Amino acid sequence: MNNPLIEVNGLASGYVKGLNILQGVDLVLKENEVVSIIGPNGAGKSTLLKAIMGLIPIFGGKIYFKGNELIEIKSHELVQKGIAYVPQVSNVFQSLTIEENLEMGLWSTKNEHSNLFKEIYSMFPILKEKRKERAGNLSGGQRQLLALGRALISKPNVLLLDEPSAGLSPKAINEVFQYIKSINESGVGILLVEQNAKRALSFCNRGYVLDQGRNAYTGLGKDLLKDKKVIDLYLGKL
Amino acid sequence: MLEQLGNGLLLGVIIALGSVALSLLYGVTRIVNFAHGEIIAFGAIMALFFSSSPDSSLLYLDRFSPLGINFLTSVILSILLCGVFGGLLELCLFKPLRKNNFGNIAVLVVTIGLSIFLRHIYLLFASAKPTSYILELQRREDYFGVQLTPRNVQVLIIGFAVMVLVGIFLTYTRTGKAMRAVRDSSDLASISGINSDYIILVTWIFSSMLAGFTGIIQGVINNVRWNMGFLILLLIFAGTVLGGIGTSFGAMFGGFIIGILVQLSVGLEFMDGHTEAKNAIALALMIIILLVRPQGIFGNKDRIS
Repeated sequence: MNNPLIEVNGLASGYVKGLNILQGVDLVLKENEVVSIIGPNGAGKSTLLKAIMGLIPIFGGKIYFKGNELIEIKSHELVQKGIAYVPQVSNVFQSLTIEENLEMGLWSTKNEHSNLFKEIYSMFPILKEKRKERAGNLSGGQRQLLALGRALISKPNVLLLDEPSAGLSPKAINEVFQYIKSINESGVGILLVEQNAKRALSFCNRGYVLDQGRNAYTGLGKDLLKDKKVIDLYLGKL
Repeated sequence: MLEQLGNGLLLGVIIALGSVALSLLYGVTRIVNFAHGEIIAFGAIMALFFSSSPDSSLLYLDRFSPLGINFLTSVILSILLCGVFGGLLELCLFKPLRKNNFGNIAVLVVTIGLSIFLRHIYLLFASAKPTSYILELQRREDYFGVQLTPRNVQVLIIGFAVMVLVGIFLTYTRTGKAMRAVRDSSDLASISGINSDYIILVTWIFSSMLAGFTGIIQGVINNVRWNMGFLILLLIFAGTVLGGIGTSFGAMFGGFIIGILVQLSVGLEFMDGHTEAKNAIALALMIIILLVRPQGIFGNKDRIS
């Protein structure tokens, strides 16, 4: 049976004390799983990823990684532990070259760097081609690939993805999702926040529907896609 | 006007070095540091304290007589001390403010207070009288039509060499790249595994050492006094803004241009007898350039805010 990689229990969090955006969220991500988090705007989907990543304060509840509670651990230390995160916006260092962006993802690892670069370049050949260019010159889709590469180069066990399809063309979205699939097949657990709920639910193993900072529905992705309440509230007519 | 070119080059190097240090600190920490001038003065005053003859009575309270150490050693010690000073400022003052989510304007006001406080501490310990390092007097000579002393030429070469080294450090070293990464986005740096607090501390140390070095060459070219950093602070800000906020190369270039323009304007006919107004023309030019190009000469439009 797959062990939990990330376990969130009763998480309360927000940007300002007293104004909790998350109001007791529970979530489990097991090894080799893709778990989607969907919900309307303001449900707290991105906030949940930021809270797990230690970017915003936690006011209640607990987060476990591989069974160990994460208490006052800073974001950069989570990378060393094996959690990587790709934010929705500002996810590349614009003034740095592609190669330097990837190098920054390696800051905390002591592994042999050249092999890790090779792996990322063979996965994303476009990054190798443009490795001396500034990341600020890349297209939206290419930036997303660079952000994935920067996150993957640290060899994480878990990848947190915040709306990887936002602002991309349909072709680029297909490409990004194909990459996410192959990343998952290589053994990385994926927690995916996605505005495109139908796509996310058909792609994932399990899904969580958040509403106003609370768990609304949970289940297998394919079941949530057919669930009448979820369809009425979030998906619309299929 | 051309006879002022030598002085312009010298002031240009001083302002360029000061601007790089200020720009780097601003880029990484988002702190507009009004106490930057006092770190510059700290380097110069400490070098004076280390190198002046122990029996000189010009400086310091009676119980702190100068140490009389060799000048080069004094320079190295002073620069190191500036690094320690910058590191302590970050650890004891600016890091706690950051952790308490102090806004940028509040931090700016703190740096103004710090500037006034430090400047008057210097006035207590170092006399208000401009003082020179114990270095032999030299005559100006002609270098390709530019009038400079041999020491001035050395200062120019060393100043440029330091700027090149700073550029190499930022472009090619791991820490330099991480500084640029934190400058782009400290949150993204953190989630990439970079300890932003460590990089900010290194930046304070590095920027303060560079500021201290700036103060020492200012002391060598002119003299040392308690408010020497404050006097050039506006020009350093101007150089940083002119070159483009957040770019080290831009700061170097902008600072150099401002320094040269200030001195060249002294040679203008209508400035005769009004040299105290020499900053006016350079700063007016800066305003005109920024009206046309708000992001500065080498700046990025995204960084204007």
